[in-house]
Amino acid sequence: MPRRADKRLGPMIFWSIAIAVTAIACAALFYAAAGRTVNATGPEMADPNDHFRLALAGIEADERSGKLDAEQALAARGELAREMLRSQSEGRARADKEFGRVPLLVGLVGIVALAFGLYAVLGQPDLPAQPLANRPEMVAQSMDLGEAISRIEARLAEAPDDLRGWQVIAPAYVELGRFADAANAYRRIIGLSEPTPDLQSDLAEALLFEANGAGSDEAMALLRAAATADASHVRSRLYLAAELMRAGNYPEASAFWQQAIDLAQGDEPWLPAATQGLAVALNDGVDAAAQQQSEMIQGMVGGLSERLYAEGGTIEEWAQLVRSYLVLDDRDAAQRAFDAAVAAYPAAFDRGDLDTLALGAGLTLNGDTP
Amino acid sequence: MSIELGHFALILAFAIALVSAIGGLLLWRRGERLALVLGHASILQFVLVAVAFLAVVQAFVASDFSLALAANHSHSLKPLIFKISGVWGNHEGSMLLWVLILVLFGALVATFGRRLPSDLTNLVLGTQSLLVAAFAGFTLLTSNPFERLSPAPLEGADLNPVLQDIGLAIHPPLLYAGYVGFSICFSFAIAALVSGRIDQAWARWVRPWTMLSWTFLTLGIAMGSYWAYYELGWGGWWFWDPVENSSFMPWLAGTALLHSALVMEKRNALKIWTIFLSIITFSLSLLGTFLVRSGILTSVHTFASDPTRGLVILTILAVLIGGAFLLFAIRSPSLRQGGLFAPISREGALILNNLFLATAVGAVLVGTLYPLLLDALTGTTISVGAPFFNFTFGALMAPLLLVLPFGPLLAWKRADLVAAGQRLMGFAALSVFLAILISALGGTSISMVPIGLLLGFWVSFGAIAEVIERSRLGRIPLGESLRRLRGLPRSIWSTALGHFGMGLTVLGIVTVSAWETELVTTLNPGETAELSGYLVAFDSFEQQPGANYVADTGVFTVTDPGGETATLLAERRTYVASGMPTTEAAIQTYGLSQLYLQLGEPLENTHVIRVWHKPYILLIWIGALVMAGAGALSLTDRRLRVGIPQRARKATAEAAQ
Repeated sequence: MPRRADKRLGPMIFWSIAIAVTAIACAALFYAAAGRTVNATGPEMADPNDHFRLALAGIEADERSGKLDAEQALAARGELAREMLRSQSEGRARADKEFGRVPLLVGLVGIVALAFGLYAVLGQPDLPAQPLANRPEMVAQSMDLGEAISRIEARLAEAPDDLRGWQVIAPAYVELGRFADAANAYRRIIGLSEPTPDLQSDLAEALLFEANGAGSDEAMALLRAAATADASHVRSRLYLAAELMRAGNYPEASAFWQQAIDLAQGDEPWLPAATQGLAVALNDGVDAAAQQQSEMIQGMVGGLSERLYAEGGTIEEWAQLVRSYLVLDDRDAAQRAFDAAVAAYPAAFDRGDLDTLALGAGLTLNGDTP
Repeated sequence: MSIELGHFALILAFAIALVSAIGGLLLWRRGERLALVLGHASILQFVLVAVAFLAVVQAFVASDFSLALAANHSHSLKPLIFKISGVWGNHEGSMLLWVLILVLFGALVATFGRRLPSDLTNLVLGTQSLLVAAFAGFTLLTSNPFERLSPAPLEGADLNPVLQDIGLAIHPPLLYAGYVGFSICFSFAIAALVSGRIDQAWARWVRPWTMLSWTFLTLGIAMGSYWAYYELGWGGWWFWDPVENSSFMPWLAGTALLHSALVMEKRNALKIWTIFLSIITFSLSLLGTFLVRSGILTSVHTFASDPTRGLVILTILAVLIGGAFLLFAIRSPSLRQGGLFAPISREGALILNNLFLATAVGAVLVGTLYPLLLDALTGTTISVGAPFFNFTFGALMAPLLLVLPFGPLLAWKRADLVAAGQRLMGFAALSVFLAILISALGGTSISMVPIGLLLGFWVSFGAIAEVIERSRLGRIPLGESLRRLRGLPRSIWSTALGHFGMGLTVLGIVTVSAWETELVTTLNPGETAELSGYLVAFDSFEQQPGANYVADTGVFTVTDPGGETATLLAERRTYVASGMPTTEAAIQTYGLSQLYLQLGEPLENTHVIRVWHKPYILLIWIGALVMAGAGALSLTDRRLRVGIPQRARKATAEAAQ
């Protein structure tokens, strides 16, 4: 209840403060001009001689304290007198009539209209502040995950049939990378409830992760069961296809890729990977795209190296050439290009990341002048 | 609610600024009452923008991710200091800081300027309010720091790790104080052009503001340079990066302005040129802002790559700068030129200084903008690198540094060059001797080094020549000399100190460029490497978690040529929220020199280690600090000094020259 009251009170308090601030600001401006008589300390140039009087006093003070000798002081006074004569011959600009109330009031109205008008467009007065400390959902999240898990584990040790407890802890184990525990938890959930395709896939996923991606017979059986039970289950089909690709069973893999693609709506994030997987599977495991890419790189590298060796180039271009050779696994050519780059850019500072790249790939640094 | 109140405060400040600008610039002849209103309005603008700024800081500190800015640039695990400095580690927040400093300067003028003539006050505060309205309006309408998110995300996206450094808490505020401070000079220049009157009250106001802004800018650039040096991990301290250049150009123009304002304050000469420089300096500050925020450049400084924002800033820039120069073109012919002086005089020397500095600004401007224009017009990408800048800038600075020590020794109005030269002879001889000695000992083959050393020593020693001359050190009893030294006006100390700092910086630049050594190698724990007599032993490699990052730490023991050992920790950090890596180089200071050690990418079975030895590199920044100290010292001096001409004892000789 109090939170709901806050929601309506918040904007009201905000508007009250905003109006008060505006009123104070306008009052300050209004009374600056209209309320008081003009400040007692007039401007220093009201009487132009004031400035010269101050300057003269400064010269005299310097002369007394010995910073100027008599001759210098005389010269300084002469300069001052000359400046004074000049300034008197110029005369002062006359001020217009005084600043009246009408323009002031127009200005104040303008300020109020502009401020509230612009705020109405840009502001969100009913959106409360949400500092982290006041957000209960965050407080719950910020509780240490490990601590929460050990608490649930303690409860499950007492009541091993607590389905809800296993449901909470299983994904948490996956998140923490404890895949064996996660697999165990999913087995318990399946034992305590129905073996749905989702649960079977979850368990298979945990098993796959635990074996670093290598599928076991148990995982494959689970995935096949899930795919058979639900003809529209995508996740199990994707895992099956990927696993069959790894095993080299391309005909069956392409069937599962095709099924998954048929089930897609068109904007799934996995779709491009599945399409590519299908293409590779139909090509008997040879990635035509990668082959093409490698040919393209070779063509590009040829052109680049010809130009760089002939005309030289920027250090980024040399780095690109070295990197390309490394990708193509042509270590001799990479070393040659690196040597040429070092010759072109003898200071290590200029070479930047090229050194890191080259030394990291096991090339040697020849002809460097440290 | 505090966020929305801050939002409202910023909008109210914008409204007050806009109305003040219109009122101040249209009704400036309406006397003192208007001046009082505008003064109050300036202080109100400051209070309101400060409230807005504090509201954003509060949202960052409390990790209120319903503020989009906090959600995009903060993180609940960030240490408190980086939560606060993170407020201006992004485009919107830094614009807010910019506006805050702008209104702070306006409020300072309103507070300290009560005794200025009312028409000058009206015009200055009107112009200042126009700038506030332009930049606050730009902030509110194109890059509003108060944008909200609903529902609020649970965690923020974190600040760019390179910026999670104490440098961010210091560098931008100082730099902005410098940039924005020149807006005061700009406003005074506009006021002088509109009212058609420049008197000594005008002059004595402009110089302290120039000095203050210049001091901040010097500190800001030096801090930025040191930050880049230790954070970016390349050991470089100046890159001629377009963004660095765009902070350096206002500094060069500001240095010129400082010297010409000096002539104007003391001798009432060079008025029109001073006004021109005031406009140029602030325009260059604005140009820097534009380049950083337009998305034209990519560097560590560019956080907003939104072309519409760039277009809006370009428009503001065109209107403000174009308007100012148009006003200058129309009004400057009717302004009265100031006092006369002979070519060889303090005034003449300062004009020479201005010519060289202005040309240097031009050179840097061309080097910075030419590639951008070429790219925009023809699509050809060229890069104007360090060699161009080093050569042109060096060629312009060498003669300036050569004549620099003469300036303070020349008298106002007319001076005796030969006498000044005689007084500098001893220092010249000493500089030549030291330059030759050091070049011989250092074993250099690069021909420019001795010249650079010579210039550095010459400027440093020449700077103290005036102080020694005035104290008649060695010619009268020592006690009497010391008494004279104490009695010297602070402005003379400030001149000497400023020029001395310049000399130190030159020396640092020359030594580090000539004798820096570097070593790139692969090391495993337990192995050692050697560089310039320093033995670097790689002790161990550890991985440990930090507050909001995971660090790969290399522990090194460095044995210096004297046999002393020190333990150095070089880190590579990976920030949790963004996954971005940074390098934290290990730097060990030996006197004024430093050993700089960087842990490179971890390789399969080894580590790339880079080590630099940087002789006397600290002189670069110490020199800058000394220069800034000189600026601060000058601010404490009494104003209203009159430049004293020398009696024309050798009038005939002068005339003959």
